[in-house]
This record gives sequence, C-alpha cells and structure tokens, in this order.
Amino acid sequence: MTHQMHAYHMVNPSPWPLTGALSALLITSGLMMWFHSNSIFLLVLGLITNILTMFQWWRDIIREGTFQGHHTPIVQKGLRYGMILFIISEVLFFTGFFWAFYHSSLVPTTELGGYWPPAGIKPLNPLEVPLLNTAVLLASGVSVTWAHHSILEKDRINAIQALIVTISLGLYFTLLQIMEYYESPFTIADSVYGSTFFMATGFHGFHVIIGSSFLFICLMRQLKFHFTSNHHFGFEAAAWYWHFVDVVWLFLYVSIYWWGS
Amino acid sequence: MAAGAVSRLSRLLGQSRPPRGRPMSSGSHGEEGSARMWKALTFFVALPGVGVSMLNVFLKAQHGEHERPDFVPYPHLRIRSKPFPWGDGNHSLFHNPHVNPLPTGYEDE
Repeated sequence: MTHQMHAYHMVNPSPWPLTGALSALLITSGLMMWFHSNSIFLLVLGLITNILTMFQWWRDIIREGTFQGHHTPIVQKGLRYGMILFIISEVLFFTGFFWAFYHSSLVPTTELGGYWPPAGIKPLNPLEVPLLNTAVLLASGVSVTWAHHSILEKDRINAIQALIVTISLGLYFTLLQIMEYYESPFTIADSVYGSTFFMATGFHGFHVIIGSSFLFICLMRQLKFHFTSNHHFGFEAAAWYWHFVDVVWLFLYVSIYWWGS
Repeated sequence: MAAGAVSRLSRLLGQSRPPRGRPMSSGSHGEEGSARMWKALTFFVALPGVGVSMLNVFLKAQHGEHERPDFVPYPHLRIRSKPFPWGDGNHSLFHNPHVNPLPTGYEDE
C-alpha cells in the first residue's frame, strides 16, 4: 500500500467544479431568458443544478475530512485562509452597495427634490422593527459564541441548545424582514432610495438565509458527533460567517435605516 | 556535549504547554467554564434585550395605525422602465395594495 510522504490533501478527481460552473452559466443565462424572453426554464434548471452541486461537493468534503482524516493541521490552515479570503470578498461585495447608497444619498439630485430621503418617501422608523432586528442578530452572536465554547468544553447538550437558539434567532430575523418588506410603503421601484434600500438589505437577507443554513448543517453534524473539542473547523467557519452577517447588518442599520432616514 | 546541550534546549522549547497540559485550540483563550458565561449572557442579557425590543415594537404598533399619505404622481417614484418579470409586470415582488400605490394611484380607492 503506498503512502504519501507529506501532510497535504491530494484531492481525488471530482465532477463538482464542472457542474458548479455549468450551473452558474445556466443561472446567468436563465436570468436573461426570464427577464427578456419570458421563460423561466433555464433559471430553474440552473438553480437545481447549483443546489445539487453544493450538496454533493460539501458532502464530499465532510467525508474527506471527518471520515477519511485528510484534514491535517496544515490542510485545516489552508481551509481557514480560504474562508477568510471568501469573507473578505463578500465584504467587498457589500462595499459596492454601500458605495452606491452613499453616492446617491450624500448628494441627492434635483429629481429627488434635492434632499434625502427623497420627496414622497416615508422611511421606516429605525426605532421599531429595525431595532428589534439589531437586537436579534446581536443576541445570535452571543449564542453562537456560547455554542463554540460548549464545543471546546466537550459539552454536547449545551452546544446543541446554543445552536438551536442561534438558528431560531436567524429565522426570526428573516421572518421579521419579510414582514417589513410587505408592510413597507416604498418599493424597489421608488427612485434610487428604493433601489439602494432593497439591493443592500435584500442581499443581506439572502446572506442571513445562507448563514442560517450553514449553522443548521453544523447542528446536524453536531448531532451526528462530527465535531471534536479540538477539530471543528466547519463550525468555526459558520460562526465567522455569521458574525460577518451581523456586522453587515450593523452597518446597514447605521447607514441606511438611521442616518438615511 | 554540544549534542546533549542541543537536545536539552529543544526539550525546553518543546515544554511550552499551557498549565494543566490541556491543549487549547485557537480562539479559546477563555478559561474552563467560559461556556457557562456565554450561556448566562445569552439568557440574561441578549434574549431579554430581544424581549424588550419586541415589547417596544408591539407598543409602538398599538399607538396608531397612521393615515396613509395622499397619492402624488411623482415621476421619480414607481418607476417602470421595463415591466417586472412576474404577474402583470406592474406590481413589485412584495406589493401591498394598502400601502403601495401603482403608478396610476392606490388600487383600493
């Protein structure tokens, strides 16, 4: 039996990068077909293949790491770098939307009345549901830290409880935002105010759903004994992502909800 | 003799363990029992904070369902450069007939 003489992970050939790339092509061209040719087929196909790719690729990573032992310390270090770099790219993504918001709101054009919020726009009261949303996400940051320390201290029950609290708070935030979107007197089509508001908060909400899903997977894995007290990088990555989502919300709250009202 | 000194030195360098010898992974520089602290923070600070905020929203909602503003056909609002790709193309995704007027006015007037 041959052994490798190094601690790195030589990953076996996998079809998922290809299916992922193809799904991205289907999604982008599908969006164009939906917008311009009244056909939703390509988009749905793209979304399905995208979800299947994610499920199978990450399932394989869990198999390679948790069951086959390929995630040595140096491999884990690489995964840490990877997650950090990804989160940095997401920060830059949101920076674009914040740039757009400040560009439009610092120098409001005459078409808007020369002031911000523009004429005819009644912004949401930052001290009502948006403040509750802030409390919910901050609380979830505390509970995810409780979860992490519980994992470190080998406390299985507390780790599970803490993850459930965190995920519930994430779901509560999402429900509150959906309700806010429905009750809002302004829509995405209401001048650049609506555009910047719904693009920024919309993408944020999407990331909350992603983060909640990631944490849910961690809960499933914790239930199945995947995590040990000194090797649980999947959980750490989810917790880092969740804190990032929380910080983006704080910027949204201060910039768009509070300063922009 | 030099070899002995080197091996003694490297053994010294290898002795840098945390007290008690329990390996601590990165980010865990809290002492034992810090999970208990975070649990306490969750149930005595964070969740009550959420509760107070919920109460605040509930009270503010009771205070008054405000009159919806009159419809003014501002050209910078209710923009329809191209139809929405769903329904009749004239309603936003979270359209609420009571508070969202169409470009031609409220639907339920």
